[in-house]
This record gives sequence, C-alpha cells and structure tokens, in this order.
Amino acid sequence: MYAEHLHGKGEKETMETDRKSIYAVETNALTKMYGEKAAVKNLTLKVREGSIYGFIGRNGAGKSTTLKMLCGLAYPTGGEIRLFEKPVSDPTVRRRLGVLIETAGLYPNMTARQNAVMKARCMGLADDKSADTVLEVTGLADTGKKKVKHFSMGMKQRLGVALALLGNPDLLILDEPINGLDPEGIRELRQLIQRLHEEGKTILLSSHILGELSKIATNYGIIKDGELVEQVSREELEEKCQDYFQIEVQEVQRAFALIRESFPDVRAEAADSSSIRLYGVRNGAEVNQMLIENQVSVYASGFHHMDLEEYFLDRMEGGRRYV
Amino acid sequence: MFNLLNMDLYRVKRSRSCYICLGIFLIGMVVMYGLLWLMAVPEGQKISVDIGMLTAVQVDEMSTIMDGTDSLILFRQASLDGGMYNIVLGVWVALFVCSDYQSGFIKNILALHQNRWNYVGSRIMTVGIVNLCCLILNLIFALAMNRVAGDMVPYAGWEDYLFYMSWVWLLTTAFASLMILICVLTRSVAAGSVAAVLLGSGVIVLPVYSILNMFHIGGWLEYSIYLTMTKGPGQYTAAKDLYVYVVGAGFLILYTVLTGIVLEKQDI
Repeated sequence: MYAEHLHGKGEKETMETDRKSIYAVETNALTKMYGEKAAVKNLTLKVREGSIYGFIGRNGAGKSTTLKMLCGLAYPTGGEIRLFEKPVSDPTVRRRLGVLIETAGLYPNMTARQNAVMKARCMGLADDKSADTVLEVTGLADTGKKKVKHFSMGMKQRLGVALALLGNPDLLILDEPINGLDPEGIRELRQLIQRLHEEGKTILLSSHILGELSKIATNYGIIKDGELVEQVSREELEEKCQDYFQIEVQEVQRAFALIRESFPDVRAEAADSSSIRLYGVRNGAEVNQMLIENQVSVYASGFHHMDLEEYFLDRMEGGRRYV
Repeated sequence: MFNLLNMDLYRVKRSRSCYICLGIFLIGMVVMYGLLWLMAVPEGQKISVDIGMLTAVQVDEMSTIMDGTDSLILFRQASLDGGMYNIVLGVWVALFVCSDYQSGFIKNILALHQNRWNYVGSRIMTVGIVNLCCLILNLIFALAMNRVAGDMVPYAGWEDYLFYMSWVWLLTTAFASLMILICVLTRSVAAGSVAAVLLGSGVIVLPVYSILNMFHIGGWLEYSIYLTMTKGPGQYTAAKDLYVYVVGAGFLILYTVLTGIVLEKQDI
C-alpha cells in the first residue's frame, strides 16, 4: 500500500543513509512534574528515522507520560521535543504522526468503519476510502455493522492501530499495543509492525512483553524512575548480551584470581556471592578442569545467553558489579 | 476547526441521543397541546367536564386565562421558560462531550490538533447547530400542533418569532457552552447531567435570587441565563429589549474562553 518507489540502487542507498541521519524523535532534557514529583526527568531520547524503537520500563517508570508528551496530550514542565527536526507544535509535523496511547480511543456505539471515517474527517481527509484502506491493512474490513462495543480486545487494538495509520504517517507511536492480545493477535500485530517498518515507517513502541519486543525492535531505550538509563541499538545489545560461561564455586575470590592468571583474555564478573560469569570462554571444560586441579570446588557450570528480559532486569537492579 | 466540525456533525447524525432529545421535546409539545385542547376548545372542555378534570366554573374562566395568549407565548411556556429545554439540551451536551473522554477518542483528536481552541470551537459550533435545528423543529411542530388542534390560539407575527428565536438560540447556546465547560472540568456524564438539571431548572438561581432580593441586591441575577430566558421579551418594542443578545453573547464568550483556558491547562 505504502510502498516506496525508488529507482536506482545507488539512489536508494543514498536516501536510506540520509534518512538514518535524521532523528524522527528527539527530546532534550524533557521533564514532567506532577506537583513535587518528577514523572520524567531530563529525558534525552533520540529515535532515528526508519527504526523500530522499543521503549522499556517498569509500570510507573514514565513511559506513557513521555509518549503522551510526544503526542501533545500532556504538556512538558521543561525541555524540548522535536519531531523530524521540527518543533512538536508544528502542525505539518503532527500530520506525520500516528498514535495509539494506552487503550485505543474508540466510540463504542459506532462500527469500525464509522470510527475510522470520524478520524479521517478529523484529519481533513476528503475521501472516506482511506478509512477502508486502513481497515483492510489491519484485517478489519469485514466487520460490517458490528459495533465496537462487541469487539474483542484484539480487534479493538487492531482498530486503534488502523486509526493510527490513517493519513499514512511517517512516525507511529504505539503505547503497549499488544496488551490484551492473544498469541495469534500478537503475531499478527508483530507482522503488521514489521511490514510497516519495511515500508519505511519509524515506529516507537513500548511494551512489557520484552520477548516480543526483542523480535522486532532495532533500538531500545530503557527508562527507570523517569530517567533514561540507556539507549542501545540491537547490535550493541547483542554484544552486551553475548554468551557467557557461568560457574558456581565455593571460593569466589580464589577462583577469580586463578581465572585471571590462567585465562588473561577472559572477562570475569560476579553474578552473585557464589557465581561468576566468564565472557570470551570457548571451552568451559578447560576452566572447570583448571579450578578442580587447583582444589576449588565447582558446584555447577554451563553456557548462558542473556536475553532482553534478563538484560532489562539487570539494568533495573542498578547494573552488574564488574570485578 | 472545520475538520473537527465535519467530524462532529458526522457523529451527531449517527448518534441516537440527539434524536431521543428531539423526541422528548416533541412528546412534551404533544402532551401540552393535548391538555390545552382539553381545556381551551369547546369539544375538549366537554370531555374534561365529563371526566371531572374541569368544573363548569373553571371552563368559564378559561376564556379569560387564554386571552392575550398567542402561539409564541404558548411555545415559550411549553418548552423554554420552565427550563425543560435547557435540561434536555444540557444532558445531551454532557453525553456528547463526556463520551470523547470516556471513549478515549479525544486522544486521537488532540494528538492531531495541538491548538485546543479548535476543539472548543468545534464543540460550540456543533452544539449551536444542533440547538438551532432543535429550536426550529420544536417551533414548527408547535405551530403544526396548533393548526391540527384547530388554531386554538392566534399566531404571533413573523418578526416576533424571529426576534424571540434569535435571542433564545443565543442564550441556550450560552447555556450549552456552560455545560461544555463543566464537562471538560469533570469529564463525567453524571456530574454534567446533575449540573444540567440544577442550572437548567433554576433550582440554584431562583432561591439565590429570592434570598438576595430580601436585601434588595438580587437585581443583577435577572441577567443570569435562567432568568433572562424566563423574563426576556417576546417581541421587540424598544432598544432596551436588545439586552438579551448582550447577555447571551456575554455568557457564550465567557464560558467559551473559560473552557479553552481549562483545556489548555489539562493533560489528557
């Protein structure tokens, strides 16, 4: 539907490079205070054009408040927001934005098409056909006269996405879009998001289902207590979440000293009081053998891969202790 | 703002509540003209006496009571002077505005329209248009009922209808803008409906007016929406009669500006 018509390969690559050097969303020291309490503190967020940005944080961390400020639904107490390098107040920029914040905002006594036509008219789209197009894209074209109040949660969410897609926006802000969806609904929405990304849209989405997010996101931002803890690309995250060899030993300090001496290229860190994580180990048996030969008891050992969820929880706990 | 108005009118056409309100007005009118027929028309009076609704003495008095009554006065008394019209319109406004908040659709609107005055403007215009349609349909229906009942009362002059309908439209729209303000503040249909009943029926204004009048300081309340509607002129006789437009426009501007300021300060 929204396919780009690009001609030469060189031209395509140049345009792609240009696009990636532009920030679709850029905030500078964004702050939101509710009375004395800061919901968002000095948040500096950068979302490159053409990326799928996963915005992660615990409940109450400030995700929805941040997204609401980006959409103009909440006023920042301080700081600046720029969309596509223009101030957020610019009406031309707002037309490039499609939003689904928390639950889909729908009139329950209207049909899917009537809701879509309402939004189309709100945008000033002269042709009601755009409503039919987005309903088709989201698989809701055949809902007929069924009123939204009789829709399942998944259908409502899909209709919310359909409304966000009206006007062919360049940036989609989706707050918890997979909440309440069944596995099939989640898969369908994931496929839709991937398709939209392939069509060149920038997508900023928050979700608690980190496993699902990790399947599609190209960049991540982690927010904790209103502050952005980290922004990483998928590649950087994969590097950080590299395989490690974990051993459980009786004497952690002695084991550290021995590992440093015998394997100088291996990075070691303490996971807890009795576990050590070793990065860069190729043969775990060699480590075990060395420790046993030096009379350090090894209770358990094995290779692990840290996933997004584990990494997120690790960051929430304040970071690992590096030894 | 006109995009929003287009959207609102699309919604109004598909909303049952609008037709229910109009139905209430028309049923009220039928009941009122039915009762009047029983009391003012000889055939009706005969039935009233037979069923014990009126005595022969009361029937004789009826012609005196009906003296000086025309179709405009009857129309005013039937729907507007008692506050019935404002109550029903107010409840409809509460349903219309609060459903934006309750459904969450306002997020779709305000994410697109950063200038929140557009939202206020479109709501006022929508309510003004619906109000105008309801008033005109009400009047046409009242005149038709009078004709069906055999011209029970004489018709007023067209200029009197025009004068009355124009200022009453302004005042009822001002009342609707007050309802929009209350709904934007509370975001609750219940609160909006209670406010519509209390403010539209004069339950608040009349006691305050009586109390203040005991100290001879209640005169300014005659310029409230409720008392202006009740006491406003039925025909234009002098320039002083134009005060009704000033009251209507003043309250409309005041409540519109207050709604805009409240909405500008709110997070959604």
